Amino acid sequence: MPHVDEGTLHAYLDGELPSAEGKTLEAHLAECASCRATLEEERALLERASALLGAARPTERPAPPFEQLSVPRAPRRSPWRVRTPVAWAASIALALGIGYYLRQPSTGPAASAPEQHDVALVQQAHERDKFAERFAQPAERADENKPAPGTPRSRAAARAPSPVPAPAPSTVAAVAVPIPQAPPLAVARGIAEGVVKPAPVAKTDSAAASALIVDGGIVRQQSAPSQSRNAAPAPAPALEYMSTDSLTRGAAGVSQATSRQSVELRGRATTTSWPIISRGTARSLLGTDPVGLPGLARQIRRSPAADGTVVVEQRIDSATTIQIFQRQSGTAALDSSAKAEIAPADRLARYLGRLRVEISGPLSTDSLNKLLDQVQPLP
Amino acid sequence: MPDDIAEVYRNTYPALVRFLYRKVWDAARAEDLAQEAFARAVVHKPENTRGWLFVVAANMARDEARRAAREKRHLTLLKSEPDAVHTEPEEAIDADRQRSAVRAALEQLTPRDREALLLWDAGMSYDEIATQTGLARGAIGTTLARARRRLVEAYDAGIEGGQHAARG
Repeated sequence: MPHVDEGTLHAYLDGELPSAEGKTLEAHLAECASCRATLEEERALLERASALLGAARPTERPAPPFEQLSVPRAPRRSPWRVRTPVAWAASIALALGIGYYLRQPSTGPAASAPEQHDVALVQQAHERDKFAERFAQPAERADENKPAPGTPRSRAAARAPSPVPAPAPSTVAAVAVPIPQAPPLAVARGIAEGVVKPAPVAKTDSAAASALIVDGGIVRQQSAPSQSRNAAPAPAPALEYMSTDSLTRGAAGVSQATSRQSVELRGRATTTSWPIISRGTARSLLGTDPVGLPGLARQIRRSPAADGTVVVEQRIDSATTIQIFQRQSGTAALDSSAKAEIAPADRLARYLGRLRVEISGPLSTDSLNKLLDQVQPLP
Repeated sequence: MPDDIAEVYRNTYPALVRFLYRKVWDAARAEDLAQEAFARAVVHKPENTRGWLFVVAANMARDEARRAAREKRHLTLLKSEPDAVHTEPEEAIDADRQRSAVRAALEQLTPRDREALLLWDAGMSYDEIATQTGLARGAIGTTLARARRRLVEAYDAGIEGGQHAARG
């Protein structure tokens, strides 16, 4: 047998040489002094290496109890983890800033409850950005994720506070959508204020004014349109709409008569019992094409009161349905409504051709105004 | 059938800490990582817990080393004053010095040799080391022989160099 290589000797010393090979090796070692000497050298080397490694061992401490391991350990701090709160703070500050900016047009005088207002608007501001893109021109909605060319966000935002109704349908409207999972903060606040629960008693306008700020897209979520419409035509849903209404009118100090007139129209928000009609029927009732938001599915109903009022219901997203009430202008209500039309704070109603159009839905007043701008005769 | 992790824990924890220590050179950190590896094993329930643990530990140590390298760059920039004077007992200083020398020597091995040596020292068999490193089982003896020789040589060279430096 030739002399043994060091690898075999180390395996032998490590006790890892297969037994057959081990026997062969031992037989050779018994005869070969040279290999025995090599074996002793390797043994010394091995021991030396082990000793060196032993010098570089940590002071051994007993292992913590195994059960302790299942307890979730504090996560390792990554550099990003440290910065996350800063990022949050920046986001919130930005959102508050935007919210404050955007609230000016419709709810300026509502400074009596600025706090709730801000909370509501923070969330609107988030959704608004998203939705502004989505609700761009219908032709461009195919690529929802990209901002429509020529309609940068800044433009939508810059346009928001404008009190002038801009008909331009090609412009992106900044629209707020209620957040399906309303953050608990706002909801809790709403509950604390007693706003969320269905009001058994009619509130006065001034009481509603404070409620309605929270109403701006958040607490309203609690009584989603499907719910309130399914409910029997009780005073509760009507109240809701009234409070929205008084946001712009009551708070702005517009005459009560105007407010009441509008409530009358919008109080019909419970429309599930209204008969569904075809577009042609709507057209004959209205004397012109019914109006709505282009590019969205719609359902047209008529008022059972046969007063010529038609409502176009359209789903903006899975959780949000808006109602666009319309009737021929020139009714008795026209005079007082016309005054309301002039007031800059009131944009929940507008005239479109021969129609008076009002909009309602579980959105902030601001958002509804933006949607109202988009309304046009439906094809 | 997965191993009994509690049993593996009792048998393997010290070895895993040792293994990790030779990679991160921080006892507390090595313990943290070892415990984290076991905690992950509890969740993952691997077939071969011991082998799995060492793979995971090696990966964690590598990530740790990268992170440490990044931090070191920052620290080098920040560090302007020399450390305060050490007042440790002489034995501790000797132990420290020896540890540093071993560390330096280990770092001169090829990654594969070092890995095999550390796994062996952590109590792994040739079979396990072969699985872990991808080496042929028959090559483990040769690899370990080479790793041990280089470790001792590098250590001796380092100590000598250190003494030269101290004298010069």
